[in-house]
Amino acid sequence: MNSPLNRHKWEPYVWLLPSILLIAVFVVFPILIVFKLSFSEISKAGVIGGYIGFQNYKDAVSLPAFKTVMLNTFWWVLSVVGISTLLGFIIALVFNQKFHGRKIARAILVFPWATSLVIQASVWNYIIKYEYGSLNSVLLNLGIIKQAINWRSSYQIEFIWECGVGIFVTVPFVAFCVLSGLQSIDGSLYEAATVDGAGFWSKLFRITLPMVRPSLTVSTVLNIIYVFNSFPIVYTMTKGAPANKTDTMITYLYMLSFYERRKGPATALSVIGFLILCACAGIYMVTVMRKEEEQ
Amino acid sequence: MKKTLALLLALTMVFALVTSQAAFADDEITLDVIICQYGPNTNEWFLGKGMNGTNFVDKFEAENPGIKLNLDVVSWNDVYTEVDTRIANNNAPDILNIDVFANYANEGLLMPVKDYCPDDLFEDFFPQFIAQSVIDDTVWAVPDLASARALFYNVDMLEEVGVEVPTTWAELEDVSQAIIDYYGGEVYPWGIDLTTDEGQAAFAYYTWGNGGGFVDADGNWAVNSAENVEGINFALGLIQKGYTNPNPATQTRYDLQDMFAAGKMAMVIAPNQLPTYVADKGGNINMATAGIPANEGKTGSSVGVMDRVMAFKDDSAPDQAKRNEAIGKFLKFFYDPENYVGWVSMEGFLPAVNSAVEALVASDPSFEAWLDVLGTCQFYPAAKAEWDQVKQGVIAAEQAALTGADIQTELDNLQAALVG
Repeated sequence: MNSPLNRHKWEPYVWLLPSILLIAVFVVFPILIVFKLSFSEISKAGVIGGYIGFQNYKDAVSLPAFKTVMLNTFWWVLSVVGISTLLGFIIALVFNQKFHGRKIARAILVFPWATSLVIQASVWNYIIKYEYGSLNSVLLNLGIIKQAINWRSSYQIEFIWECGVGIFVTVPFVAFCVLSGLQSIDGSLYEAATVDGAGFWSKLFRITLPMVRPSLTVSTVLNIIYVFNSFPIVYTMTKGAPANKTDTMITYLYMLSFYERRKGPATALSVIGFLILCACAGIYMVTVMRKEEEQ
Repeated sequence: MKKTLALLLALTMVFALVTSQAAFADDEITLDVIICQYGPNTNEWFLGKGMNGTNFVDKFEAENPGIKLNLDVVSWNDVYTEVDTRIANNNAPDILNIDVFANYANEGLLMPVKDYCPDDLFEDFFPQFIAQSVIDDTVWAVPDLASARALFYNVDMLEEVGVEVPTTWAELEDVSQAIIDYYGGEVYPWGIDLTTDEGQAAFAYYTWGNGGGFVDADGNWAVNSAENVEGINFALGLIQKGYTNPNPATQTRYDLQDMFAAGKMAMVIAPNQLPTYVADKGGNINMATAGIPANEGKTGSSVGVMDRVMAFKDDSAPDQAKRNEAIGKFLKFFYDPENYVGWVSMEGFLPAVNSAVEALVASDPSFEAWLDVLGTCQFYPAAKAEWDQVKQGVIAAEQAALTGADIQTELDNLQAALVG
């Protein structure tokens, strides 16, 4: 028989085993397969051939659309994560105040986040449609505009719309993360600060921000991963058209794989994306661990 | 007592298992079939109750004892992924219904049609359709159905403006201008779809209508010919002059059909199912069809779109002859007019076999005109191995030209990539 002490040592691993198995089968194993595929020749019909070194990677980075797509991905992640973090923070500050209907307001805030992205993107597609979009009909009926406006007149504007929808669906998540952080701040801190003569801004920067920083870090890193990997908004709204000008890396590699049937470079691109995200997550882990050590 | 019951139950289960295994071993053959979802009725017809209260699988299995069908209806969005995944896992379907076939044939995954298709059935296919599935003198797939494109126009609208339906590009511009002048921008005269889904169709309309096309007379890629550049520039000119829907890179053919159904578009190139589509959308448009306009002195040609049925090799099958025979029986059953006519007319497509024509024309006289169109239309060069690349390449070139790039340069680059 094991002594209670011995059992205590192995017991956590037994409880962890099911999740470890699931992660191994559904996450680690597919990742390894993709790594292997990225170094293999893959035919148009999907038949997997032999090892070809870094050829797929060379093909991927020399694709004509590669630069545009990487740049788009950068702006997509930066604008969606950046702006939604800022807006989410402000909304959280407002929602942390006491006012009538706060519960309802908080419930409504969840909607954009809780609705499926495909539905969100399709609805926005209808809203900004030139011919019978609701935005044009509302503005026309209110007499604000005299003629319907083409809200998607260029690809730059279409990309801005996609980022806008991305921000719209991401803000609630940030707001709730920050809100949970705000609620854990002891009210006496603010009282003490007020007694010492601190104003709104100094309370914000010296109490609120430092206290919610852990929640903000979590939401930012998770958002970078979600937004980078987000497929439905871009695919539903433009499919990357015209000529990959509104593609992000994820939609582009899908088109590359399943429309152009160039699976080799597509697999290499997905590995590149994975490594970029690993780097982001790594920076996050290091920062968080450092913080924990300091504390 | 309980123990005896449990023992009895266990024995029954073992017995059932053994007998089912025995039944399985008793010369039964199972065919994995993938069918693409053409519309809401496809699933009902193959697996539900859409075939006069029964379905294709049940009826087939009842008439062909010893052959089981493991049939999946897969949406067009997913079918390529599904098939590729199955091929990568050495689990290709026995029978596949899809549009493309060249990659599968070139990589040695398909069986030649003559290995499994009964001769009388093979003779029944329209020869110009069969010719579209030939690589190196071997037929690799058979057509399952087709549709043809033509110009649909709003008769009332054109009458009100006082113009005739255009037959040449110059007339098209004049008519478009007249419609713009009359309706003051409320109606788009012409529809163009340069989206990632169907930009290759637009390429076909404007290059075939100018004596160009994807390939030259010898069947070699010639995407950057002078005729093609002129044709695409003409299409881009229509967009720039404001004769078309404003966002052709993101407005799909379905968006155009919706506008046509809503009376916001006067003319649109669409498949023969458009009247059904418009009716389903609640539209009540007095429409008629005409040939697709071509450049002065050139003949326009309709665009035929055809899907295929093909059979994959399976070296692990114990009895190849028997497997081939089963696939043949599947095809015989599918193309039997008793079943096939219902299938084709249900989704409003055109048939691929002669034996179905009579019954189809009897059920809907408008089919006859379309069958004539079908006889003269051109098809995409889908038998060429680079077709996927060309299809996406011409779409990318058109879309790049929309954002200001030079179409000649774009097509030159594509051609250079194709001929190495």
